[in-house]
Amino acid sequence: MADKPSGKAASVDREAKLVDPTQGIPEPSYSWRGLTNEWGVKVLPGAHGLRLGDVNVGSYGEVPDYWADQTRRPRGSVGRPGIPPLPYSLRSKHELWADCAADLYEEAIQRRWIPATEVPWDSLEVLPVDIEKAVCQMCTELSQCANTELEIITYWQDRMSYGYFEVKQYLATATFDCARQQEVLRKRALSNGGGLGIESRGRVNRIILESSGGWTEAVVYLYLLRGTYITRLLSGLLSAAHNEAEVFIYSHMLEDHARHLTYGYDHLKYASSHGKDATLIMQTLLAVGEGHMAAELNEGVVSTAMAIIFGGGIEGARTHGMERYLLLVRDFITDYLAICQELGIEREKTLHPVFKRYLENE
Amino acid sequence: MMVVFPSEEWFQEVRQAYNSDQGLHSGGGGACDTTAGFKVGEYWYFIEFEGLECGQVRQCTEQDLEATDFILEMPLETWQAMLMDVQANGKASSNLTLNSIDLEFEDGIARSPIDDQYRQDLFYRYNQNFQDFFDASSLVETTFESQA
Repeated sequence: MADKPSGKAASVDREAKLVDPTQGIPEPSYSWRGLTNEWGVKVLPGAHGLRLGDVNVGSYGEVPDYWADQTRRPRGSVGRPGIPPLPYSLRSKHELWADCAADLYEEAIQRRWIPATEVPWDSLEVLPVDIEKAVCQMCTELSQCANTELEIITYWQDRMSYGYFEVKQYLATATFDCARQQEVLRKRALSNGGGLGIESRGRVNRIILESSGGWTEAVVYLYLLRGTYITRLLSGLLSAAHNEAEVFIYSHMLEDHARHLTYGYDHLKYASSHGKDATLIMQTLLAVGEGHMAAELNEGVVSTAMAIIFGGGIEGARTHGMERYLLLVRDFITDYLAICQELGIEREKTLHPVFKRYLENE
Repeated sequence: MMVVFPSEEWFQEVRQAYNSDQGLHSGGGGACDTTAGFKVGEYWYFIEFEGLECGQVRQCTEQDLEATDFILEMPLETWQAMLMDVQANGKASSNLTLNSIDLEFEDGIARSPIDDQYRQDLFYRYNQNFQDFFDASSLVETTFESQA
């Protein structure tokens, strides 16, 4: 133990320090005071508190169509000359914007949930082995979808200009949702005597991850095409849940996923009405994407797993289980076409033949 | 006290039951801000969720629902089947939840009065809050119009 200065020596030491406390510190400058674009702003909380969108007032609420600044300068603050540019390549509003982003951010923050303690894990009971295998296979599949979503968001998030911070912040919550989905699906698979199943071939995951033409292209594949299908899968899983734990998991995943789709559809709406030839580009992308999606639908792992879950086993899977799954796919394609139509993207006439077949299935 | 479904009184009782116990909100898991309508047989009802509570619910006309985010519409017998199941089991069985019923109907049970997909999607985003609301009716002694 080091010797401490004692008595008089310690007192002298303290006095020496008090003599010149700023010794070695540069002369402070307060020249930054008053450097502001807009002062005197006083937003009061409303009935729902002080939300992100509420403080979009005056110049702070001006969202330009193009954000030339390549720095991390918060929107509305004073820029500093000489800051080296960062690699923000998405600088046009139509490349990422959705009017609902600030509200969705608030919603995601408020509606968070904790798999470790909130899922009633003790409600899990031993299931017939084929059903447990099917549930675990769906956990494996959906976990990879969540991982793909997380990776593609973070890839593009890094390139989004700070001028559109509402979108960046909302997407941060979406990545967290995806991480939580991976967590909860893994926990479900490993908590009832089963385990993870076989890895997906990942055709659609791959086209999502390889969509290098821009964030909007990724959104077309991630949300409009595959996300619409995942909604139907989650609704189906929820309706066939075997215990309270699964009800909790699927219902919360469904709500989170619906929020992701809201951003996705809203962004595509904005992009299609503000980007040059945007709907034609989306049409081309979807013509390619439908082919991959069709191949994935035909691969049979998800279809048979879902049929077993719906049918209550392999016997039932062969009849009403598969019928119910085919109706689910038909409903997905119906939803998909309705959203395309709303966005002004022509898909019905040139719809992929496999999609058409599912659609004609009654 | 026995109340008849469908009636404004019944919805008010359910609102009170729902708001009085935070434990009934576990499915939704957070704030919910939306307005919606229900078509039950020949009657229309308006409901508003504010934060963690059901702010108001009342009988109304179809026109009153034009500004709502979405309307849930299903035959009276489907409403009754769901609510009888809730009465019997404390909450809807898996085949009689709003989600399952939505899957049963070719066009689903939720529609936007102004054809706005964004607002209609609130049904999915807040699905469990609505389920929790109807599950709270297990605490309300209910008789059904056909039985009354």
